[in-house]
Amino acid sequence: MKEFGYSLSPSSRVDLDKVDKSKQNRLFALEPGFKKCMSCGSCSATCSAGNYTDVSLRRAISYIQNGQDQLAVNMLRNCMLCGKCLIICPRGINTRNLIRNILNVYGEKQI
Amino acid sequence: MRERFLFGYDPFVLPFTLGMVFIVLYLLIGSIRIIIALDKQERMLLLKSMNPRQLIITAKDVFVDCLLHIKIFKRNLLLGYMHFSIAFGWFMIILVGHLEVILYTPQRNGVLYYPVFFRYFVMETQQTLRGAFFFFLMDLFLLMILSGIALAIFKRFRSMALGMRRTTKLKLGDRFALYSLWAIFPLRLLAESFTANISGGSFLTKSINHLVHGFVTNPDNALPIWWSYSIALGVFLFSLPFSRYMHIPTEIILIFLRNAGIKATSFRNGYAESEIYSCSRCGICIDACPMGVNRGDIKFSSVYTIRLLRRREDPSEGAEKCLMCNKCVEVCPVGINSTRLKLLYRQSINDSGQHNFSYLSTIKERESYGKVLYYAGCMTHLTPVIYRSLFNILDKAGVDYTFMDKDGSVCCGRPLMLSGDMKGARELIENNKRVIKASGCKTLLLSCPICYKIFKEEYQLDGIEVVHHSVFINKLLKSGQIKIKKGIETYVYHDPCELGRGTGIYEQPRELLSVAGTLKESPEERGESICCGGSLGSLTMPADKRRKITEHSLDILNTNNPDIVATACPLCMRTFSPLNYKSETADIAQIISKNLI
Amino acid sequence: MNREILIIGGGPAGLECANSLISLGYKVFIVEKSAEPGGHLRKWDRLFPYGASASETLEKLLQQSNKALFFYETEVKSIKKSDGVFIATLSDETQLHVGSIVVATGFSLFPAAKKEEYGYGIYNGVITNADLEDAFKTGKKEFFKANRVGFVHCVGSRDEKVCNRHCSKVCCVTAVKQACEFKDLNPEAEVYCFYMDLRMFGRGYEDLYLKAQNKYGIRFIRGRVSEVAEDVDGCLVLKAEDTLTSRPLKVTLDLLVLMSGISKNPDNDEIALMLGIDTDEDGFLSLCEPNLNNNKTQVEGVFLTGSVTGPKTLPETLNEARAAALAVHKYLSR
Repeated sequence: MKEFGYSLSPSSRVDLDKVDKSKQNRLFALEPGFKKCMSCGSCSATCSAGNYTDVSLRRAISYIQNGQDQLAVNMLRNCMLCGKCLIICPRGINTRNLIRNILNVYGEKQI
Repeated sequence: MRERFLFGYDPFVLPFTLGMVFIVLYLLIGSIRIIIALDKQERMLLLKSMNPRQLIITAKDVFVDCLLHIKIFKRNLLLGYMHFSIAFGWFMIILVGHLEVILYTPQRNGVLYYPVFFRYFVMETQQTLRGAFFFFLMDLFLLMILSGIALAIFKRFRSMALGMRRTTKLKLGDRFALYSLWAIFPLRLLAESFTANISGGSFLTKSINHLVHGFVTNPDNALPIWWSYSIALGVFLFSLPFSRYMHIPTEIILIFLRNAGIKATSFRNGYAESEIYSCSRCGICIDACPMGVNRGDIKFSSVYTIRLLRRREDPSEGAEKCLMCNKCVEVCPVGINSTRLKLLYRQSINDSGQHNFSYLSTIKERESYGKVLYYAGCMTHLTPVIYRSLFNILDKAGVDYTFMDKDGSVCCGRPLMLSGDMKGARELIENNKRVIKASGCKTLLLSCPICYKIFKEEYQLDGIEVVHHSVFINKLLKSGQIKIKKGIETYVYHDPCELGRGTGIYEQPRELLSVAGTLKESPEERGESICCGGSLGSLTMPADKRRKITEHSLDILNTNNPDIVATACPLCMRTFSPLNYKSETADIAQIISKNLI
Repeated sequence: MNREILIIGGGPAGLECANSLISLGYKVFIVEKSAEPGGHLRKWDRLFPYGASASETLEKLLQQSNKALFFYETEVKSIKKSDGVFIATLSDETQLHVGSIVVATGFSLFPAAKKEEYGYGIYNGVITNADLEDAFKTGKKEFFKANRVGFVHCVGSRDEKVCNRHCSKVCCVTAVKQACEFKDLNPEAEVYCFYMDLRMFGRGYEDLYLKAQNKYGIRFIRGRVSEVAEDVDGCLVLKAEDTLTSRPLKVTLDLLVLMSGISKNPDNDEIALMLGIDTDEDGFLSLCEPNLNNNKTQVEGVFLTGSVTGPKTLPETLNEARAAALAVHKYLSR
């Protein structure tokens, strides 16, 4: 159907119908913890890199789920992989592996 | 002593001879390939090491490591004896065999098979004391080997008796080599016994000859036994390159390269190749590996990862799951640095430079207030008790210090380096270096061993002393700047991987604990310490498996019921503390701060 | 002393209260408005968080309460108190003389059609939690063909516009339970839960939530659904905000399940008037000592139990019912 009339600006609107599920499933296979996030924000709060720039694993996970991969990748490229979020995550997500694999699956190199 | 046959030849020598030629050629080509794979600098190192002094050292190392197996003796007496008796006994048999040829049949000196089958080809004309001595030696060493083989067979069924809970699973090549190896020496004993009435023999062979004589009247019937002996040798030699026993010759090459100061620079050629082929798959690393508490993860221990590398299969799962705790390296009797191999593998796939640290350039340099600059690092920010205790000690000692990353750290780079991203790690290192150098400090004080290792090894902060807090506090104590009272608490000290095996600091924290209370022993400590399970070395280990490792490590630490499990690493403490129900968990700084007078 | 007791309402609260009173030796009358006992429990298929069968649970409650005297399709018309004895007149003109009255009239499910923007009763694909539960129970297959399913939490809860400021307490975990059950029946389905807060307070709830994420891959989106439209194919187009990334969001679904909350029983005002007790602002009946006593009203001999005083889980309701029985016993033994 043709879009008609008023609409939200396409860049800011999330359309869950257009999310690439196959990539998400690959990510899930590489790091099963991906789906466990309950958006508490501990990872973003403790983040060492977050002191200097915009990094939030919590938001990156939502971005990936909403199909906004590049927002997630651009943010996680700032990650120093220090492991604080791994220690702090109440859901026991292997955050470092998740970050690595988001960059691998959605990043430029796309391993 | 004279020869029985004019040409000194019989077709039965062929299996052995062909095998021997095969393996010599194989080794020659292999060595050349390794040398070609070395870069120019490494080849220069190797050439330089070919001086008499260095050669003597190498020869000594070869003797101690490959023949006497001192490292295995230290682990378990029986296991050590098993390796020693076979290796040393076999070596002596070859040596004495050659001596016999040189002395009695000098015209055959240099014939490949002659020393091996000497007793088939000769006839004893008169008994001499010297001959009896040699025969005695040969029988003695043969007996020694046979006792080793008996132990080896016993070990297949009851490995625990030789101090090994788990042994390596065998592949087909291993089986061929193993069973032929088991067959070689009993067959040699039989063969030599059958002809002992002609060639002569000693307490073993002569006695068996007397027994056998009753059954076999014609000594020519001994020929099938000599054939079997030769075939067993042939099978062993041919299966050698496809089996774990390849380590017997390769280890010598490895020792040469190592003593020349060469290190692995890629996970699959040059030095790495010699390491991979030197792995005897003894399986000592299986028991050592902390991942082993999760039964399904035994397949990721170093021995299997190295085997995958050797078979040119994908080692990624083991290489990425490994905690990099280095215990397998510590216990390896061959001295293979498997952690380094895994790290090099990670670099080959992860050194992608996907990270972007341009934001770091906005961090401003500041001058430090004191001569001592304290860097907490990411992990210590999660354990404020450590830096607060440390500051209390520093204040008491009158040390002027500046808290470099009070408002948040830039990571030291070690976790990124462990993930294989050297390029990213380098960027973090350069940034931290810039800030540290601008501070004008003389000492960089660290409370996290992860940071300490990389600051020490990769930062090259010329003129600035890098020191871990356990060492620093120890110095303050020895110089009298602080005084500690002895408490009633008992401690067990957990050696953090990066501090103990990583940088060799074992004694300073223990000295402090002995002053502050009573230090108890843990069944596995110092180099044998078990990773807390929190290690950032592992990339893929999930939380539930980490937890099992932590619980196991704590069980071992709590064996002697200490009041406090002491450690000197914020990550170990953070990992232990929520799961340690049997005792308290504390950092060394916390304990000392509490006991200050 | 009068050892006869009237329980108004034959749901789980009334049944369990009767059980306890019978075992204490009292004679119990249960007045039930509908034709069968069991209340909402009768309509449900499985119970959170462990998936126990609702009908088996009801069966156990009934087994023990069969000594009570039931009045079905009957309501209480009036109650008079004289000399410490309550005289209740029922709609069939029966008169009961009882020593004490227990009110266990429960709740009513929020009528989802009141939330006009969700289109319940207008769009075919929009159903309620009760409809879905009925489908689970009767094996109605048509719902489970849906490959894109949304669950809207807090329909008629935490919403002053529909006079329900309160949290209904049980919908969060019910939504998670139903979402998991749906995935069991149609593993291919994409399932989304739209929530404001996830209130996983009870034992086993958090585990269920984790399982929903980890095993079933259900996506939880924090944001209240604002409106539902239908596209040309008859699919539902739903709008919400993903408040965690602060982005407006749209998704096309085949089935939308509205988690209707727990509202007051519409008869509450009448009952309160009849007994001389108060109602709270939201229409649930008032307790006079809510911290100290879950059952006590300002009228001596009249006790409340179950969700007539506010949203409750089944185990909480049953506990209160047993407590009410003891309160009655204490009152009559004074």
